[in-house]
Amino acid sequence: MSAAAQARRARDAAREIVTSYRGPRLRIMEVCGTHTHEIFRLGLRALLPPGIELISGPGCPVCVTPVSFIDEACYLARECGVTLCTFGDLLRVPGTAGSLADARSQGARVEIVYTPLDAVAYAAAHPAEEVVFLSVGFETTTPASALAIKKAAAQTLTNFSLLAANKTMDAAYLAMRDSCDAYLYPGHVCAITGARVPRALTSRGISGVVAGFTASELLTALAVILRRSSAAPFFVNCYPRVVTEEGSPAARQLLETYFTPVDAEWRGLGVLPQSGLVPAPAYAEFDARRRYTIPPQEGRTNPACRCGDILRGACTPADCPLYGKTCTPEHPVGACMVSREGTCAAWYQYRGTSAASSGKEDLHG
Amino acid sequence: MCVGIPAKVVSVAHGTAIVDASGARREVSAELLAALDPGDYVMVHAGLAIAKITSDDEAESAALLADTASDGGQR
Repeated sequence: MSAAAQARRARDAAREIVTSYRGPRLRIMEVCGTHTHEIFRLGLRALLPPGIELISGPGCPVCVTPVSFIDEACYLARECGVTLCTFGDLLRVPGTAGSLADARSQGARVEIVYTPLDAVAYAAAHPAEEVVFLSVGFETTTPASALAIKKAAAQTLTNFSLLAANKTMDAAYLAMRDSCDAYLYPGHVCAITGARVPRALTSRGISGVVAGFTASELLTALAVILRRSSAAPFFVNCYPRVVTEEGSPAARQLLETYFTPVDAEWRGLGVLPQSGLVPAPAYAEFDARRRYTIPPQEGRTNPACRCGDILRGACTPADCPLYGKTCTPEHPVGACMVSREGTCAAWYQYRGTSAASSGKEDLHG
Repeated sequence: MCVGIPAKVVSVAHGTAIVDASGARREVSAELLAALDPGDYVMVHAGLAIAKITSDDEAESAALLADTASDGGQR
């Protein structure tokens, strides 16, 4: 049999395992915004039999960033006159008194960058400006921020710093453990941490598989969960072409050198101990919170917004009174509607506003 | 922002690599990956190559399902 025919057969087998499942009810949580988006885009939910519930957890770094962070950034731009460099996704996240886009329209300097390294290059090219990079992201993105500090230090830049809200996923796995029966672990976070981190969670009774992002990989990961779900806590690395057992020691070394763990607030989950990363004391001059005096920010959200509940898997976007009405991708009220990886944005793009209250019935129809 | 982009390495020099992602070329940091060669495939996150890609997804799926069927998939 040719390799292509073998691959087709494997994909068909995975699909058959998923569609024919008639076992106990299972709640599977993905904790990666790209998984959320791809599962919708590929139409995988339509294949799921009754009893399999896919829950979108706190896997989008923009979505879990608290409002107070946006408020801090707006304060830096409006009151301290700094130039903000940011990933584009953060631009329209509503803060207590408007978004970064609003601040920019009022005259604040806000530059969009693809990588933290571009922010360092901007600072080097604009020595008369004070440049602050808005550093959000999980283990996948934080190494690039660490490299930014490394390069800024090597260039002895005195006009560059980070406002950091970086986070690590292992605290979230533990915090969300009662919300699901198995995790689809985020493939690229695990490329950094190694499969050993989620594998070790089996000793605490937590099951799951690392999943890739193609149709074949997501179907296979779901099939493996369904095959293994009757056994006691299990773990399978279903993305071995990218994720190794050890992950990336070089990336972890960067994180340990340039960042230090702190307690951190997650939207919807509250404060999780030692789940955040800020610049290490040895690199304090690159920490915007040490460089500037930023008063405590209120971080007030729209009281009707249910992003927090959605990030915990406690409800779906269709249960939010704002979804599709006052909160749309053009005019987002909550963070989950802003980023392409956000749960509400994915729902809106692929399901529109026609979903019934919980949406479960048409997931399986 | 938090999206991994698979890309093919075109050239490597001094800790940076030129990669080709579906026709779009860009310089990315290659500091995390030792022994990167032109022709390798990497996963790029925020301008940083974070991992090598060692096979295609369908070969991977076939192997995983074969394992799951034979030994419960403990790997």
